[in-house]
Amino acid sequence: MATESATVASVRQQHAIVPLSRRKWWRRRRRDIGAGYAFIAPAIIGFTVLVAYPIVFSAYHAFTDWNGLTPAVWSGWHNFQYLFTQDPTFWPSIKATAIYTLLAVPSTLLVGLGLAVLLNRALAGARWFRTIFFLPVVLPAVAVLTLWKYLYDPQYGLANQLLTALHLPTSLWLGSTRMALPSIVIIGLWGCGATMMIFLAGLQTVPAELHEAARIDGAGPIRSFCHVTMPMLTPILLLQVVLQINQAFQAFTQVQLLTNGGPDNTTNMLMYKIYADGFQNFSKFPQLGYATAEVWILFMLILVVTALTVRTSSLWVYADNTRD
Amino acid sequence: MTSPRRTDLGVPLAVSRTAWYLLCAVLSVFMLLPLFWMITIALKGNGDILQFPPSFLPKEIHLENFVVGPAQINFYQMLGNTLIVTVLATVGSVLSSMLVGYGLARIPFPGRKVWFYLFTASMFLPPIVGIIPLLRLYVTLGVADTWVPLIAPAWLANPVFIFLARQYFSAIPYSLDEAAKIDGAGYLRTFFTVMLPLTRPLWMTMAILAFQATWNDYLNPLIFLTTESRFVLSLGMASFSGQFAGVATTQYNYYMATNLLYMLPPLLLFFLAQRYFMDGLSALGTTASK
Repeated sequence: MATESATVASVRQQHAIVPLSRRKWWRRRRRDIGAGYAFIAPAIIGFTVLVAYPIVFSAYHAFTDWNGLTPAVWSGWHNFQYLFTQDPTFWPSIKATAIYTLLAVPSTLLVGLGLAVLLNRALAGARWFRTIFFLPVVLPAVAVLTLWKYLYDPQYGLANQLLTALHLPTSLWLGSTRMALPSIVIIGLWGCGATMMIFLAGLQTVPAELHEAARIDGAGPIRSFCHVTMPMLTPILLLQVVLQINQAFQAFTQVQLLTNGGPDNTTNMLMYKIYADGFQNFSKFPQLGYATAEVWILFMLILVVTALTVRTSSLWVYADNTRD
Repeated sequence: MTSPRRTDLGVPLAVSRTAWYLLCAVLSVFMLLPLFWMITIALKGNGDILQFPPSFLPKEIHLENFVVGPAQINFYQMLGNTLIVTVLATVGSVLSSMLVGYGLARIPFPGRKVWFYLFTASMFLPPIVGIIPLLRLYVTLGVADTWVPLIAPAWLANPVFIFLARQYFSAIPYSLDEAAKIDGAGYLRTFFTVMLPLTRPLWMTMAILAFQATWNDYLNPLIFLTTESRFVLSLGMASFSGQFAGVATTQYNYYMATNLLYMLPPLLLFFLAQRYFMDGLSALGTTASK
């Protein structure tokens, strides 16, 4: 009710230029309601079909035995029970997802922020470097990943050749249980230009007077970065952390094109396992009900981790109370 | 003689500048090396590829790779498919999102705040949650394994774009609407004649981001398409590389040449519309954090 009357008040305010009779006011208001809903209709249909329907559908089918062809049979908690206690690749996939997230998120943020700070200088050529660092972001994932697969080739790949030329030990990269996940993270770092651009935009909103004031107070560049720049960047940092966690939890194309979950399940992340169980393992017959249960686990994990991040953010996100 | 200017750290300015250029140059090499390597492979001959250790530069230029490579996967048919899907999806997501953003920002009607929050929240729903139910829906509607699953959702507005559009529209002075209204224009007319010309940077940015996202998408075509003649390039390129999985074979020069052709449209778009590209991301970062 409170929001309703607030809307009415704002409608009155917007139309206060010409005083209207009560009947005219209502006619105009009805027209606004009709027009408003007509304008947002695509999104309402989209929300219903692409968001609400899938949520309801998945919530039901996670509890069924369903192969996508024959009707779904209610099976209670069986899918989840099997997942947690019997599926040999479930816990490895949780582990792979967790390690990947813990590696990818901080390193992307650090490198992205580092590049942004580096390029936040008014020197000739900064624009050029910015374009170069951003370039990998615009390339299609399939093109990038197959290129890197070749770079990582143990025999013919550029990676091992460079290491050999520098007299450093070579690696099996994607074929090694220890290096496979870090190899995938490195490819992600090559494309951290989007993160860089968002931080760069944030850096440019920090008022120069603040740095001026800090300098007069005797702060060096490092102190001024920690105490002036960083606090101003924390809202953007929070957004980035949330986005990056989301992305990391949903890493799929990398696994599908580079390793197929191997070696020894070290890169079998949850998203890939969902795909494999639902669409690919024809030896087991596609198990869409089972895959739906896994989708819910992934969704819940993302929700919980995001909520925790946002909840604890009040401890480290600087809120400027003077801003509206 | 005046002493050289110094930075806050007490390092002479010239030294700090040189260090900066050096660092940026080294990082640029890291960023460009994989691409450079790709181009050299695309130009190499079959024998050159198998040579061990491989030479960095091609011994002779083999431009025929750009003809032989694409011929192996029906490249040009898939290019046509990809263009149709990408253009239709781009137009759809930009137009529908702009209309929704306008409605939410400039038409006073009850419930618009609630809808705005719902649309924004759906940004955070992982796409995978939708895939199995939607596949079922498309099968029921008889449009599975067509381009409909790749195009239709775009016409139902994109949550990120709705968010950006609403923020952008909210910042436009209301006196413009009033002026249009006095001239007798309805909301739709105001949208097309007043708002679209004013918001050109916004929808250009959206168009570029949408084009990019559709062109590069892999998961959706992978799930929704099975007939090879309807494949888009991301699928075609993946199956191309799948044939040579793991080992370096004689075909990698063909593959890389084709891969370059696949990357060309988004690359050209990027160089033509760089500003919009980067502005879009910056806008997302700064408005979302407010």
